[in-house]
Amino acid sequence: MSSTQTISNTIFILFFIFAPVALADTLDSASFEVKMSTINITGGNKSSSSYKLTDTVGQTIQGQFDSAGYIIKAGFQYIYPLTAFTFTISDLDLDFGSLITGTPSLLTNILTVTTGSAFGYTVKTIEDHSLRLISGSTTIPDTSCDLALPCTQTDATPWTVDTRYGFGYNIQGTDVDVADFVDNTYFRSFPIQDVDQPATVMSRAGVATDSAATVTYKVNVSGSQAAGIYQNNLQYIATPSF
Amino acid sequence: MKTNKYHPSGPGLIGSQIFKAWPCGDRYTMSVWVAMTISFLLLLTSVICYPTSATAAGYGLSIYPPLLRVHIKPGKTITQVFKIDNLINENKFFIARLVPFTDADLFGNPILNLKSTASWLTYFSLTNSSIKLGEPFTIKANSSEQLILSLTVPENASLKDLYVTLLVSTYSNTGGLGYQGTQVSATTGSNLLITIASEAYPPTLLRVENITPTSGWLFKFGSWYLADSITSVSFTAQVINRGDFAAETKGIFKVAGQKAEPVYLEGVLPVNVLAKTKRALQNNHGENFVFTPNLGNIGPHRVTISIKTDNANAENSLTVIFLPLKVSFGLALAGLFLIVIYQTTKSKKETCIL
Repeated sequence: MSSTQTISNTIFILFFIFAPVALADTLDSASFEVKMSTINITGGNKSSSSYKLTDTVGQTIQGQFDSAGYIIKAGFQYIYPLTAFTFTISDLDLDFGSLITGTPSLLTNILTVTTGSAFGYTVKTIEDHSLRLISGSTTIPDTSCDLALPCTQTDATPWTVDTRYGFGYNIQGTDVDVADFVDNTYFRSFPIQDVDQPATVMSRAGVATDSAATVTYKVNVSGSQAAGIYQNNLQYIATPSF
Repeated sequence: MKTNKYHPSGPGLIGSQIFKAWPCGDRYTMSVWVAMTISFLLLLTSVICYPTSATAAGYGLSIYPPLLRVHIKPGKTITQVFKIDNLINENKFFIARLVPFTDADLFGNPILNLKSTASWLTYFSLTNSSIKLGEPFTIKANSSEQLILSLTVPENASLKDLYVTLLVSTYSNTGGLGYQGTQVSATTGSNLLITIASEAYPPTLLRVENITPTSGWLFKFGSWYLADSITSVSFTAQVINRGDFAAETKGIFKVAGQKAEPVYLEGVLPVNVLAKTKRALQNNHGENFVFTPNLGNIGPHRVTISIKTDNANAENSLTVIFLPLKVSFGLALAGLFLIVIYQTTKSKKETCIL
C-alpha cells in the first residue's frame, strides 16, 4: 500500500470516527411534547464568484404541501441573523407626584425597538381614558396645546403657554415623525381606547437595531382643577411588519 | 476682635484652636485630611446601605418568529413554537391573545382593532399545559418561555386567508396605582398570515400600479416624463392584490434603453400583500427605486416593474425620456452671458470711436 493510500484511508476512518452526529429533535417536557417544532439550523448569505444564495435552512418549508398538507415559513428569509423582535420601555410607572397649578410637570421614558428578523415595525399608543380622579369622574383633559395652533391626536403643535392645561406627550429620537414632532415643544394628545384608533409614535420600513426614542409626558393643571389623585393607563403596542 | 477669613464675622476662637491643635499647623493639609475623612465615611455609609435595586420598573420583551406564513389544507393541524424572552431583571406577568385583522398600511403594518374578534379564532389554541390564551402567566427575570401555538383547520373550513397578530402584553392585577400619574403597559406582537387552500399556491391577482418618478429634474408631458440625463431619478410604485389570497412581491425593477436592452436592474423587496389590499413596492433596502443615468442614457427609456408570483405575473411600465437638460440649460446660460458681454463690449467700442 502506497503512502498516499495509507493517508487517504486514515482520513476516511477518522472522518467516520469524528463526524458530527446528525440529530432529529423532538421537543418534550413533563408538560408538553412538540413533534413538529421549528428548529433553526442556519441562514444567511452564501456566495462565490459564480453564485449568490440567500437561504434559511431548517426554518422554511417543513413539509411538502401535497403530502403533508401545509407549508410553514417563519421569519423573513432575507433578514439575518434569525433573531427576535424586541421592544423595551425604560419605565412603566410615571409618577407625577403633587401637581402645582400653572406649573407643568414633565416625565420621560425611552422606547427601544430592534426588528430582528422582521423588515420594519410600528409602535402605536393609546390610553384607557384621560387622567381621572380615582374616586370620581373628574378628569384632567387631554391637551389641545397652545390656542394659536391646536394639536390633535395625530398632529403635534407647540405647547409652551403655561395657562394652557391638559395632558399630552412629545417624542424625539430615531424613527419618529420629525416633520410632526418638530422639536421638544411640540405635543400631541393621546387617543382614547374604544373611541379612537391608536396613534403611531415610531415606525420604520426596514431593519431597525436599537431604534430609541424618548417620550416626554407633560401635565399642567389649572387652579380650578379638583384636588385628588388622577390616574390612567397608557398602552404601547409594537408590531413587526410582514 | 480676632477674625479669620473662614469666619470673618466671628471671634475666630474656634478656628484658631483647631489650627493650633493641628500638628503641622497647615490649613491646606488639614482641609485635605478632613475631606478624606468625610469621603471615607461617605464610602462606608454607601457600602453599608447599598441599595438592592435602584432601577425603575421597566419592560423588555422579545418574540420569535415575528412573522409566520402558513399555507394549509382544511383538515390539517400545525404547531409553531413562539419564543418569548423577558429581558428585565424582575419577574413579570404577561398575557397572550390573538387579534384578527383584515387590513394593513402600505408598508405591511397591520391595522389592529384590539377589540376585534372572529369565529375562526377557535382554530387556534396554546398546547402549553400551564399557559392559556387570555390568561396571565409569569416569565421569570431574564428568562424565556415558549408559547406552543396549534392551528387546527376543520375539514369544512372556508378556503380563504386568516390574518391574526399574536400579542403578548404586560399584565397587572393591582386595583389601583400607588401614585398620581400614568401606568404604562406594553404589548409586543407577531403576525400570522394563514392561507387555507386546497392547493399550495392558490391563484393570485396582483397588479403593479402608480409607477411614478418622485424626484429629479422632471417634466411631465401626457403619460411621458422628461428627465435630466445626469440626475438621479427616484421612483415609487404600488402593487394591489385583487385576489382572495396573500401573495409575495418577488420581482425586478428594470430600466431599458432604446433597443430594449436593460441598462439598470434592481430587485424588488419580497414582502407579503394581503388579499384586497395595496402595498408600496420598494428595493431590497426598503427604499424607493433609484436610477442614476449616465451621459450615454439619452432618449426614451422604459421603466418597468415585474412581479412574479408562484402562479402569475404582473408588470407595468412607463416611459421616461432622458435629455441633457442641465447641460443644455448651462450652455444656454453661458451663451447668453457671452452675448451680453459681446454686446456690451461692442457698444463701448462704438462709443469710443464716436
